[in-house]
Amino acid sequence: MSWRPSATGWAMPRPPEPDDLRARGRWPPPPGPRAAIVGSRRPSPYGEAVAERLASDLAAAGAVVVSGLALGVDAAAHEGALAVGGCTIAVLGTGVDIVYPTSNADLAARILERGGALVSQFPDGTPPQRANFPRRNWAIAALSDVVVVVEAAEGSGALITAEAALALSREVMAVPGSVFSPLSVGCHQLIRDGAGLVQNARDVLAVLGATQEVLDDPLRPPTSLGVAAPGGGRDALLKHLSDVLPIEPGALARKLGLPLPEVLARLTALEMAGEARRSGASYVRLTSRIGRA
Amino acid sequence: MPGAGGAPHDPGVAASVRSVLLRGLDVVPVDVEVDIATGNPAFFLVGLAAGSVKESRERVRSAVRNSGLPWPPQRARMTVNLAPAEVRKDGPGLDLAIAVGICLAQSGGSASPGDAFLGELSLDGAVRHVDGVLVAARGLVRQGVRRLFVPAYDAAEAALVPDLDVVPCSYLREVTDHLLDGAPAPVHEPAQQPAMWEPPMDDLAEVHGQEAARRALEVAAAGGHHLLLSGPPGSGKTMLARCLPGLLPPLSRDEAIDLAQVRSVLGELDPGRPLTGQRPFRAPHHTISMAGLVGGGPSLARPGEISRAHHGVLFLDELAEFDPGTLQALRQPLEEGRVQITRSGGSVAYPACFMLVAATNPCPCGWEGDPVRACRCRPAAVDAYQRALSGPLLDRIDLQVRVSRAPLEALSEEPTGETSPVVRERVERARRRQQERQGHLNSALTRAELRRLTGIRPEARRTLERWSAARGLTARAFQRAWRVARTAADLDGRDQIGEDHVLEALGYRVGDAAAA
Repeated sequence: MSWRPSATGWAMPRPPEPDDLRARGRWPPPPGPRAAIVGSRRPSPYGEAVAERLASDLAAAGAVVVSGLALGVDAAAHEGALAVGGCTIAVLGTGVDIVYPTSNADLAARILERGGALVSQFPDGTPPQRANFPRRNWAIAALSDVVVVVEAAEGSGALITAEAALALSREVMAVPGSVFSPLSVGCHQLIRDGAGLVQNARDVLAVLGATQEVLDDPLRPPTSLGVAAPGGGRDALLKHLSDVLPIEPGALARKLGLPLPEVLARLTALEMAGEARRSGASYVRLTSRIGRA
Repeated sequence: MPGAGGAPHDPGVAASVRSVLLRGLDVVPVDVEVDIATGNPAFFLVGLAAGSVKESRERVRSAVRNSGLPWPPQRARMTVNLAPAEVRKDGPGLDLAIAVGICLAQSGGSASPGDAFLGELSLDGAVRHVDGVLVAARGLVRQGVRRLFVPAYDAAEAALVPDLDVVPCSYLREVTDHLLDGAPAPVHEPAQQPAMWEPPMDDLAEVHGQEAARRALEVAAAGGHHLLLSGPPGSGKTMLARCLPGLLPPLSRDEAIDLAQVRSVLGELDPGRPLTGQRPFRAPHHTISMAGLVGGGPSLARPGEISRAHHGVLFLDELAEFDPGTLQALRQPLEEGRVQITRSGGSVAYPACFMLVAATNPCPCGWEGDPVRACRCRPAAVDAYQRALSGPLLDRIDLQVRVSRAPLEALSEEPTGETSPVVRERVERARRRQQERQGHLNSALTRAELRRLTGIRPEARRTLERWSAARGLTARAFQRAWRVARTAADLDGRDQIGEDHVLEALGYRVGDAAAA
């Protein structure tokens, strides 16, 4: 049993790092609490924004952000940590010499460049295999002090990570979402079962025993939505509108790589079709209105 | 040696000298007639002279004597008549003409009918600045005047008028020496005009984020549309507004002269640099009076802020705080580009063709619609606040945009937006298209012109009509969207308004209610 240096104020027992872990980059990571942020590979804009901001705020407070380098919430969490110059660890389901999915190759490179690490329990050269990812999820839980689930539908892999965390006596926390959103069902179930509710980074830091003063309440949306856009194009616009997180036309245009006038026109068209609504200078998606087909 | 005698004095001789009075930006030519006869000593000033003109007698007497010029002797009965007699005369600008008339009458000389004189005298005979010399000079040229004697301070201003010789005068004595003794009277040589254009005060590149608001500014600049910015405190509404002049093409020479006339009347013209290509930006505080905003004054109205903003930008921050009556007075100028003000002394018109940029909070506390901070207003209060803004004034504002606070992190980042000159180039191209098509900007398109001149694709028209029916748009709001769509198409370089242009235009409204 190893203990964190007491000088940092963190006093949680953590089992030794597994012997068979292979790592690229800085390993072992700097001392400090480790928070895993996991969730859907196809999150809503809300989930993506929560993951990014939460990771930024935690990293800024000195925590190491752990995730699985998958698309969606994982990528947003790594990006959020990197955005504030924080340390982040990507736990892979492949060999450390293989980046999967390949679209995250650039992200992986930046993690290494900025003092983070890629780690894996699988031998070099292991290709992506379906059966390995649940095992990888256990490793994420094992390497972390707390697991925060941001958007998980029923049966999501992120719930496996939560289960593993419970089995390994790690804290489990979850971010609530809209009750209309299928992506929040898993999170709400976790909260119902006793997982801590995450409103902002302070909630997570409190569980870690940190006495960090900071961070406003509620969580602020990230400025950039800096995660790479999947696709772009006109049809993507609706997908990037959230029902709970208002998004400004400028941010949408940047994210989708579309000219702003076109985004403004599309948004008005969505308004006309009753699929979007304004909220201040921003737009939200309208879903599941009672009485609506 | 004041009043040194022995000067030639021939009772019964009269002289006539031309000068001018201002009525707004119009002029009233005045003939100053001086008659010196033998009789009971007296000095009459007749011709409906108001207080400041009556006082001319005392100034002129001292100025003439202190210049070492002869003053009619003890037994002279002198009458100065200001013709036409039915027009009320005000202001000190006739001093020089009266003094010159008195000197000419004594010597039996006369001034050429092509000469005119303008200036106030000080007691020692110096010629002092008067307001409105540019306006006076323009009016006098139309009256056939070819040479104008003006205070040296105002010579550059008068010299802006073509076909006019401007003689700068520092002392009364210089004028009389020339007229009576043939001393030279050098004509003002206009200095090389400095470049008309100056860099704008604020550049769009300094604006962080705010893409939608930047786009709205560009559309407003391109079509000459009035703009409403609605957003919480600290959302950069003032900064955005201040960027607008830099997005507009510099003033043409004619426009610059129009503006210089207003400044001339107000005495606010820079003598060293009367013409500038810089568009004016006026931002009166919300406590301003109606007279201060649209123009006014005790007897004859002076130009107000809206005329100072002629060909430029009038920025009204905290629109809801302005007195409603004051804002009502903006209706006529917004429609006609000029303002007509009637006072006891007569009615005058001033140009007031400006782009209005208004800014407001979305609700009394300011935070309605903010993604992070909650609004503390009662819903009814928010509605009432937004209703108070609507009505006739808002009806004339084509573009209405919500802006949000820039996040703090964004402020420390290097801004990445385009600079004002880049945007201005697109604006100028779009404006040229409008001038070629209809001879004016899209903001002035009438209903008939919209139908006749602006090509609109059938599906775009259908979209406009569908929205209008669904949201219950007024005819005015319908036309506003059409005009803005026309500008969006012009920025795009398209002859036909497409559906996207209409959709973009429909998005420029504040609140979710139909901006009726």
